[in-house]
Amino acid sequence: MIGNVKNYLLYFISMIFSVVIYYTFVSLQYSPEVKKAIESSDSILNIFIAGSVVLVLFVAIFIFYSNSFFTKKRKKEVGLYSLLGLRKKTIGKMLFYENIIMGGIAVMIGIIVGTILSKLFTLIVLRLLNAPVEVSFGISLDAIVNTFIVFLMISLFTSFRAYRLIYRFKLIELFRAEKEGEKVPKISFIAALTSIILIALSYWLGYQPPTNNIQVLTNLLLFLFCIVLGTYLLFRFLTIYLLRLLQNKKTSYYKGTNLVGISQLIYRINGNARTLTMIALLSAVTISAISVGYSFYYTNEKQAEKEAPFSYMHISTSESVDKQIEDVIQSDREHSFIGQMDIPVIHVNGEVSSPLLQDYLKNGPIKIISENTYNEALKIVGKESNIQLTGNQTIGIRPLLTEYTSNDFEEHLVTLQLPNTELDLAFSAMVEDRILPWSYPDFAIVVSNQMFSEIAAQVTPVTIKAYEVAGEKTTKDTTVQLQKLASEEMQLITYYNIYRKGLESGGLNLFILGFLGLVFLAATGCIIYFKQITESHEDRSRYEILRKIGVSKKEVNAVIRKQMMFVFGLPLIIGVVHGLVILQIASNIFSVLIGTNLTVPIVITTLLYFIIYLSYYLLTLTTVKKTVNN
Amino acid sequence: MNIVVDAKNIKKVYGTKGNVFTALDNIDLNVYEGEFVGVMGPSGAGKSTLLNVLATIDQPTSGDIHIDGTNIVNLNEEQLATFRREKLGFIFQDYNLLDTLTVKENIILPLALAKVDVNELEERVHEVTRTFGISQILEKYPYQISGGQKQRTAAARAIVTKPSLLLADEPTGALDSKSATDLLESLKELSEINLATILLVTHDAFAASYCNRVIFIKDGKMFTELVKGKSTRKEFFQKVLDVLSALGGGLSDTI
Repeated sequence: MIGNVKNYLLYFISMIFSVVIYYTFVSLQYSPEVKKAIESSDSILNIFIAGSVVLVLFVAIFIFYSNSFFTKKRKKEVGLYSLLGLRKKTIGKMLFYENIIMGGIAVMIGIIVGTILSKLFTLIVLRLLNAPVEVSFGISLDAIVNTFIVFLMISLFTSFRAYRLIYRFKLIELFRAEKEGEKVPKISFIAALTSIILIALSYWLGYQPPTNNIQVLTNLLLFLFCIVLGTYLLFRFLTIYLLRLLQNKKTSYYKGTNLVGISQLIYRINGNARTLTMIALLSAVTISAISVGYSFYYTNEKQAEKEAPFSYMHISTSESVDKQIEDVIQSDREHSFIGQMDIPVIHVNGEVSSPLLQDYLKNGPIKIISENTYNEALKIVGKESNIQLTGNQTIGIRPLLTEYTSNDFEEHLVTLQLPNTELDLAFSAMVEDRILPWSYPDFAIVVSNQMFSEIAAQVTPVTIKAYEVAGEKTTKDTTVQLQKLASEEMQLITYYNIYRKGLESGGLNLFILGFLGLVFLAATGCIIYFKQITESHEDRSRYEILRKIGVSKKEVNAVIRKQMMFVFGLPLIIGVVHGLVILQIASNIFSVLIGTNLTVPIVITTLLYFIIYLSYYLLTLTTVKKTVNN
Repeated sequence: MNIVVDAKNIKKVYGTKGNVFTALDNIDLNVYEGEFVGVMGPSGAGKSTLLNVLATIDQPTSGDIHIDGTNIVNLNEEQLATFRREKLGFIFQDYNLLDTLTVKENIILPLALAKVDVNELEERVHEVTRTFGISQILEKYPYQISGGQKQRTAAARAIVTKPSLLLADEPTGALDSKSATDLLESLKELSEINLATILLVTHDAFAASYCNRVIFIKDGKMFTELVKGKSTRKEFFQKVLDVLSALGGGLSDTI
């Protein structure tokens, strides 16, 4: 009976957990504070919707898992009812109502707990968005309705499954359920080898540089297929194969408790392969997703600086408008004026002799600036530069979102198509600091002052007005005023806008990915915990036999610890390695990540993950030890 | 003859104040090397308690037990584990084989725990499996073999370490008569040829008739003792039955 209470409790708690998570998330989506904090377009709110879809899927899978875990434990009980003469229909109805009532109570408790938690998470979101933190204690009706509908569907489904239980199995099968020990698994060298090949193939695919969109998509699908199947086969066959190899090394296998530990692992892996695969893959997704989210957020400031090198930039159209704009900027007392300059830029079509650069440039215009302008502009934004060029020498500025180096430029020629002639310039180097706002193709070159005036004689330069002010992250008011003044063709770019947009999408991304990651982590942790506890109940008799034939408590604990380390450690290691590969792919797809250093986000994420995972390991280990030793 | 088990005044009391049950009441027991001793008695007489106490799985409330010269009452948990491993062998009614191990690995287990050299280990396994006639099923798993084979595997595991004392708790309880006879013959052979010391707890007069000596206990006290001496197994079987009927309640157990 006590055991049964435990089963109910586990199932009940996992349902409440799911409701709490889902409700918390959805109420954030409907929260007025969060909506207010998001200045940029509503489309960012789509991130929330995408997040909740992933969450629904995950929550559904998690509940089905704990439901089938729960039913498996109760098969005998159900068989007993049938044996005592209850009609199948009565039993089915009983299970149906029981399940739906449990679901109803779980939703209620979950919403209450979720209301409290959602306030906490609102604070975190507002914090990430740099918004003023004032949270009212309201209840969102929309969120309640949304949660209620989702869990009604899930509960109906699981309840129906519970109803069908008595019809699905023969009486004898219900009684045998608990004893359903796993048979000793067969070894398959081919399957073990296939797992390595598939994983290697998926890694190889992951490291392929993308060429075009269709290929990226097919590669991605193929990658997913290979990595999922490969990981499953790895747990199902490769681990067994390797453990069998260990078994064949008699000198170490027949030493102490290795005999028990290894054989027990082999015996258990069959039933655990699917769980371990799921855990490894979820770990991989979590680690890579949080790393990506974190690096978006973490690199936002630098990224904004590259995209908008000055606080305000626009193309000069008429002197009167230019004057108005300057007045607005000058009148902003809170952000003291640092400097202003006119940047003359010549747009000319041309070709580059380097195939790599030509591929980037296509037939877009090349932007030309003079060495003086470049040096001066960098001085205003507080950077050192002293470029001096003569004759046909030119220097390339690294296009944004690329990882080109000086080597890609040096010794190559750029041919400018001027109205009357063609002009060949030779690259002598590449620099990274940018002074122009981003536009595609982002291909700018610096030429000598003399060369610039020669070209300017044939093609009229466009003047870009650039202003730099102090504290450019908070220039919201000025930005709004300028946006009213500036026309479309002036292409006004303010640092604030770029920064803010990055912060919002980065912050929300980080929050949602972090939230989902934590949920995945908590759920996978619970799944291993459930599994290990159930198995430890089954293993008790085995350890009792060991104790009888003279294995000390200490040795029994050591055997348990070794097995746990395997069960927890292997998916973690594989998850981390997979995660790194997924990150590689992510940085190929999200061009913003190109050229950013991901080491810090990855190390922090992995470390955090590891610490949480470790506490699950310790919790499980203590519980299992207690179960076995009592 | 060396004395293997020397137990004096063993008392085992269960329960707390007001609700005390005396399972063993001042039992004295001596077993000598190479003896095959049976312990019989009606249900609840204290047979299993006696075995558990001797097996160091349970502690006596009072009394001294020396097995092979070691006083097992004073040992701590770690020492007990080592003691069980080195000095004792067990055969249980429900076999207690590990279903994750093959027959061979089950037999090897105690040797592996004692970290015996691999070559010696293989040799000893070869030896005992021949004694019990299970050489053909070494690579099979417990779920693939019959009850009789399981029990012979358990017996092989029990004696592979050449223990000072082999304890058998109703080993024939779950076996058909043919398997039971095979097992008992093997045990008898072990005690006669290898001078193994065996203590057999049983309900079954037929199993007891294979012993050199049978001790009867009732209500936790020593009731009587039968020595086989020169009588044949059949005569001894009859004597055991006679004592059992005198013991009361025992007869129904033998049917």
